[in-house]
Amino acid sequence: MKQKIKLTVNSEIYELEIEPHWTLLEVLREKLFLTGTKKGCDCGDCGACTVLVDGTAKLSCLMLAVEAQGKNILTIEGLANGKELHPLQQAFIDKGAVQCGFCTPGMIMSAKALLDKNPAPTEKEVKAGVSGNLCRCTGYIKIIDAVLAACENKRS
Amino acid sequence: MIYRMPRFDYLAPGSVEEAVSLLSQYGEKAKVLAGGTDLLVSLKHRKVGPGYLIGLSGLAGLEYIRQDSHALRIGALTTHQSIAGSELVKGNYGLLATACGKVGSPQIRNMGTIGGNLCNAGPSADSAPPLLVLDARLKLVSTRGQREVPLKGFFTGPFQTILERDELLTEIIVPSLSPRTGGSYQFLNKTTAVDETLVGVAALVVMGDHPKLVEDIRIALCSVAPAPMRVSRAESVLTGREATSGAIEEAAAAVANETLPRSRTDYRRKMSAVLTRRAIREALAEATV
Repeated sequence: MKQKIKLTVNSEIYELEIEPHWTLLEVLREKLFLTGTKKGCDCGDCGACTVLVDGTAKLSCLMLAVEAQGKNILTIEGLANGKELHPLQQAFIDKGAVQCGFCTPGMIMSAKALLDKNPAPTEKEVKAGVSGNLCRCTGYIKIIDAVLAACENKRS
Repeated sequence: MIYRMPRFDYLAPGSVEEAVSLLSQYGEKAKVLAGGTDLLVSLKHRKVGPGYLIGLSGLAGLEYIRQDSHALRIGALTTHQSIAGSELVKGNYGLLATACGKVGSPQIRNMGTIGGNLCNAGPSADSAPPLLVLDARLKLVSTRGQREVPLKGFFTGPFQTILERDELLTEIIVPSLSPRTGGSYQFLNKTTAVDETLVGVAALVVMGDHPKLVEDIRIALCSVAPAPMRVSRAESVLTGREATSGAIEEAAAAVANETLPRSRTDYRRKMSAVLTRRAIREALAEATV
């Protein structure tokens, strides 16, 4: 039975009609056309669907859209300030941390959640921070470099 | 893979009373949704197909970590991350913080709840061994009233518990620890996407009057049996004894013998002994600080 819901995504309010069994991921991609958040494994293992919910990194493939109401959802599309990229986005480009790019939005959202809580993490803390995001291309080294570099950028 | 979940109606109770009333009303047709990190996966794999989901996200009152004079009380909807990051838990019940801090991934820890972890009753549930050695109790509520049951005996098999169809777990109660108590949680992982535990061992020791005298010892494991388990025969090896290297080795061997691994049997048994030794040593160190 369809339900009317209100979602706040990237500071915009969307009024939608959805079925209760739809996940937040499905609604973001198929109803709001915010396809930056990726559907990888669709069962909580890969992290490609990571979004921030009230600042906390969560898996949108394991969230019901109905339960995302009343929360501030931040997706990769919400990071840039117009044409000005977020330091994390710029660092990923500068450090060559993007190959196929599929894991990238999820990686950046997890990294953002980390840096928002811990602005100067150690390498070990960065690894822990993105440990819920799998990458099949890069071998992670440049991703970790990029997150560490983003801290430098943020500070200067 | 791409999954479409089977359809269900979503119910959103605003209180525990409402939630248990719905549970009693819908019975077999309903499933309770806490963090969703187990249930939604089961739905996606079509292992279950409830007509109704009773969403608990409106029960903010079930998220808490409180210490009173008798016990540490944890609300069933408290996330693994809240427990892992709690100064209170890290300070006095470190083994529980360690266990909750290694569940799944950061995102899963932000979503998954301790109540959901226990009621899902997976054989590899990390939160179980620490709570078993801490002699935790569970508060179960239904329209018929409420009862408190020991966690020891809660699990009856893989993904099976004594929870009645119409009951809701609301609180985990951990009795306060006496002084000269130390604990530890040691684990090894499988190489899976979210590092599922291969063997997990929790140990709690209470020291007696003499420096190395073990007044009480409790040991529990996950991933080595159909359900998380205490190893009472092995515990009796060290109870009331001096914790010499030899005694610890004896206890470790006894633990390995008591395990019932279903797969990778030899390795799991050997690692049970290794991790038991480490857990006992770390618990002793904490107890004698």
